[in-house]
Amino acid sequence: MVRLVSGMARAMAVLGGLVLAALILLTGISVAGRVLNTLFHGAFAQSWFPGLANWALDAGVGPVNGDFELVEAGMAFAVFAFLPLCQITAGHATVDIFTSRLSPRASRILQAVTEVVFAAVLVIIAWKLYDGMASKLRSGQETFLLQTPVWWNYAASLAGAVVAAITGVFMAGVRILEMLSGRVIMVAGAEAGH
Amino acid sequence: MSNLDIGLWSFPALLLLIFLRVPIGLSMFLTGGIGLWLVSGLNLPLAKLKTETYSTFSTYSLSIVPMFLLMGQFATLGGMSSALFRAAESWLGHRRGGVAMAAIGACAGFGAICGSSLATAATMSRVALPELRAYGYAGGFSTATLAAGGTLGILIPPSVVLVIYAILAEQNIAKLFLAAVIPGVLAALGYLITISIYVRLYPDRAGTRPPVPYGERMRALLDVWPVLLVFGLVVGGIYLGWFTPAEGASIGAIGTGLIAFFNGGLTRKTLIDSFLSTARSTAMIFFIILGAAFYNGFLALTQVPQEISTFVVSQGFSPWVVLTLIIVFYLIFGCVMDSLSMILLTIPIFFPVVMALDFGMSAEHTAIWFGILVLIAVEVGLITPPVGLNLFIINAMDRETPIVETYKAVAFFIASDVVRVILLAAFPIITLVLLPG
Repeated sequence: MVRLVSGMARAMAVLGGLVLAALILLTGISVAGRVLNTLFHGAFAQSWFPGLANWALDAGVGPVNGDFELVEAGMAFAVFAFLPLCQITAGHATVDIFTSRLSPRASRILQAVTEVVFAAVLVIIAWKLYDGMASKLRSGQETFLLQTPVWWNYAASLAGAVVAAITGVFMAGVRILEMLSGRVIMVAGAEAGH
Repeated sequence: MSNLDIGLWSFPALLLLIFLRVPIGLSMFLTGGIGLWLVSGLNLPLAKLKTETYSTFSTYSLSIVPMFLLMGQFATLGGMSSALFRAAESWLGHRRGGVAMAAIGACAGFGAICGSSLATAATMSRVALPELRAYGYAGGFSTATLAAGGTLGILIPPSVVLVIYAILAEQNIAKLFLAAVIPGVLAALGYLITISIYVRLYPDRAGTRPPVPYGERMRALLDVWPVLLVFGLVVGGIYLGWFTPAEGASIGAIGTGLIAFFNGGLTRKTLIDSFLSTARSTAMIFFIILGAAFYNGFLALTQVPQEISTFVVSQGFSPWVVLTLIIVFYLIFGCVMDSLSMILLTIPIFFPVVMALDFGMSAEHTAIWFGILVLIAVEVGLITPPVGLNLFIINAMDRETPIVETYKAVAFFIASDVVRVILLAAFPIITLVLLPG
């Protein structure tokens, strides 16, 4: 079970990483296209190699249309896809200084309560994101340049949000079991070495 | 209770949660959500959530954050850390304390292609720590040098913290990056001076090594050209308006990715590890940003930030006293809290206060100068005991050195930081001189 959920969280994170890399390449191509477009329109290119310049312009060398919108939608997906890994590796920033002297038992109770609340918040976020998607679906709103339905963007993000919610609930279960049994099932921040 | 009271009571409530080790992002999210519920009923926070998580995570200017993080991961894989260290060592290594100075120089160079302190500290330690120990540098002195050097990762642009500040304070990222250049160089110089003072006080804690011939020095210097190219392209390109900061971050990630690829550092396994590491940090940062957006939305509704800034101005305090208090606050809180959380938590309160005071500068200059001061003040927190993150990361790499030894030696570097904060606060021109008009 632990392996299944960690595997899912890692797979989502790698998927998000691939999307991030794709967005970076897309932005790079868009910048290159814009630079070349300006160059080919310039006096230098038009007087020295007008044939090549106009051929390239006709072929559509220029910034990628809607790159901005793709980055926004893709980035939201990537961040949601990154959440489960952070959840399962206890990667969230905390202030440890005042709780370091608590007894192991008190510390486990605190951790269990925190994880339960966190899980509830992640479930609410996923649920409300679904509502948000449903209302975008009803309104039929489209993105400005690409004219794709906005609810697509929400749907992609929802995939990550749902996995994050599942991971959150799983971690809450793990911490409750640890609190009741006094055994350590998952070491917090075990993968922090990355 | 009036809305203002609820707003004011949210501060102790939030601090209590944070000190109970509730993740900082979650603490802000809960305080903000419950606060909104108290002020205007449960429907408001729930309705906000329908669009606010998506719109926060899809904010175009925030896409710089994961891009810079991935760029830093690739920079780590590209072998540039050892090339930088070799170059710095061949020029400085024979001086007294020279290998430690070289580590600082290499950190500064690495900071120019990496926007994260922790990554800089960890990467440079892997290269420089064994060398320092081999040349007879004391354990605590070596780890403290690298911990301090690591903060250059964020002080020298590109810098993730500055990106967040720019968004919160609605300032121009390109100008902030430019303004950070001289303070960043001053930081490196300050650390070099600290080292030369330290080795004169404790001559037995640093060894010596023979000088390197000039031909070899030149060759070592030539090896770092990719770093200069990427830094020049990213920071120069953003500044000259060739591309937006997010586009610059993309170009930087592609650049360091290519370096890593051609140096054989980029394999399937390291690529996946880079993704996982970027994923963890990105998720952590964005969850804090989400919590802060929620909390600050609530605060704005209760009018607390305006009331505080009106109060401070009406009291007629000297602007410099207020500024000093704010910086001291950052230095103290930096001992227990990470820099991004601190900025997200405090800028919405402090920024209107500072902007309402008269420092004899234009609003934009005040905002940029204050941003750099905050950046430096929170960065000191990375190397202040007891929970300076850089100290832990590096100490974990050198098992023989007790952390107390690191604490003792790092005090010298903290002193250098404090001197620099005072200098930059007293002479805003140092920060602003590079800015046009």
